[in-house]
Order: sequence, then structure tokens, then C-alpha cells
Amino acid sequence: MNKEIEKLLFNPIRLKTVSFLMTVETCNFKALLEVTGSSKGNLSVQLKKLNEAGLIKIDKYFQKSYPTTDYSITNEGKNSFEDFFKQLHYLKNE
Amino acid sequence: MTKEEQLIIINDAISQTKNNLKPLGFNLVFWGVLINFMSLFHYFFPEIVQFSYYSSVIYWVSIPLLGMVYTTYYNIKSGTKIGYETQLDRVIRIIWAIFGLSWILKVGISLLYNVTPTQDILFLLGAVLLMTGLIIKFRWITFGGTGLLIFTVYTYYNPTLNLLLVNAIGITFGMLIPGLSLYFLKKHE
Repeated sequence: MNKEIEKLLFNPIRLKTVSFLMTVETCNFKALLEVTGSSKGNLSVQLKKLNEAGLIKIDKYFQKSYPTTDYSITNEGKNSFEDFFKQLHYLKNE
Repeated sequence: MTKEEQLIIINDAISQTKNNLKPLGFNLVFWGVLINFMSLFHYFFPEIVQFSYYSSVIYWVSIPLLGMVYTTYYNIKSGTKIGYETQLDRVIRIIWAIFGLSWILKVGISLLYNVTPTQDILFLLGAVLLMTGLIIKFRWITFGGTGLLIFTVYTYYNPTLNLLLVNAIGITFGMLIPGLSLYFLKKHE
């Protein structure tokens, strides 16, 4: 498994975010705040890191003149998470 | 963080995803009530709806179009409130959006050729309801869709039936009652 990804997903906020995004098509910031139980500032920082690593995609647009942001997982993110999950199961059962 | 703790975090995050079927229930109830009211109003007060050559066309096109605008607004608003869209939500949204477009096309073609679109729309609606019921695994919608399909086929062989009453009966059993049962469902994950 990619050590960089493993290190990235070692953070619980990032792991919760990626796990949740695996089960949905898109999601907004408010829903991620509820899922992760994190503060706005901390979540923003973690989302930026996940985006920079290519694991998640951030779409910004205007809805009725209000700026809105949607988050979704990328194909790379899906593959990385699946590898991470398999490895986790393997190590746990060892 | 141990491997076990990581697995618990993953499990907790995944279990927070729920398919949001309440907006679908609201849509079915809204359209069920609207179309029923329109059909029965037309049936009992034909002199008002058909006071001129184009009045019934305007009646049957403008009010459903306003309904479409309202339900689109409601769906965007409820989607923003929920905050996320699952794959199932997306599939259902696409199916009903295509039904809406087909409805507009069918009404347009019917106006062009001066034929009644009621039975074709009910048939299409029955098929979409049946698909929806099977996809979300909700038997009342599956039954409603199946019943509406069978009922519509029956009406093709009975041209003397009043299409306004056919509309009201089909919509009540195919859309309104299954929609109410979905809307008042406490939990659907």
C-alpha cells in the first residue's frame, strides 16, 4: 500500500471523510461537518489535503447567488481506499 | 490509532449514509393530489374548464408545468438540506427527470395531432412507478405501478370509459396511496 495514502488516512477526520464519500455520489460541507464531528476550520484543512492528494474532488458553484461546494471521491480515491481497507483487514486478521 | 479503531471509524462513517426517500414520497403525494384535483374539477365543472377551444389545453398544460417548477424547487431545497446524494437517490432522480421530459414531449405531440395523451401518460407513469418500486424495494409503489399498468391496458380496450375518472382512479391507486405510505414511513435505509 502507498505509504503516503496510509499516512493521510491515519487521521480520523480524513478517514471518516473518505469512508463517507465512498458511499455517496456528492456531499456538501455541512453534511461532512455532521459526519466527522469536526470544526469548520479543521475540516477545511483536511479536505484541502485530501484534494491535493487527488483522493477527493471539490466542485464550487453558485446556487441562488450563494457559493456552494460539493465534495465527491475520485477514482484514485476509490482505489486507494479499497487497497487501504483490504490491507487493514489483512493486518487485523494476521 | 489501532487497526481496530480505524475499522470502527470506517464502519461508523458508512453507517451514517441513509437513502432519502421522504422527498420521493412528497413528490408522489403532491402529484397525486394535484392531478386528482384537476381531473375531478374538470369532470364536475366541464363548463368552466372547457369554456373555449383552448381553455382545457391551457388548464392541462399550465398547471402541471407550475407543479413541475414547484417540485423542482422543493427537490433542490430538500437536497441541500439533506446535504448528500446517494447512488440510489441519483438513479431515482434521473428516472423521474426523464419521465418529466417524456410527459412534456407526449403532451406536445398530442396537441400537434389532436389526440388525448391520458392513457399513454398513465402507461408511462405505471412503468416508471414499477421501476421505482423495484429499485427502492418498496412494495406499495411496486404494486401501485403494476396496478396502474394493468389498469391502463384495460382502458385501451374500453374506449367508452371517461378518461378523467380513469385518470383520478389510476393516480389515486398508483401514485397517491403508495406515495402516502412512503412519506409516512418512519425509517428507510
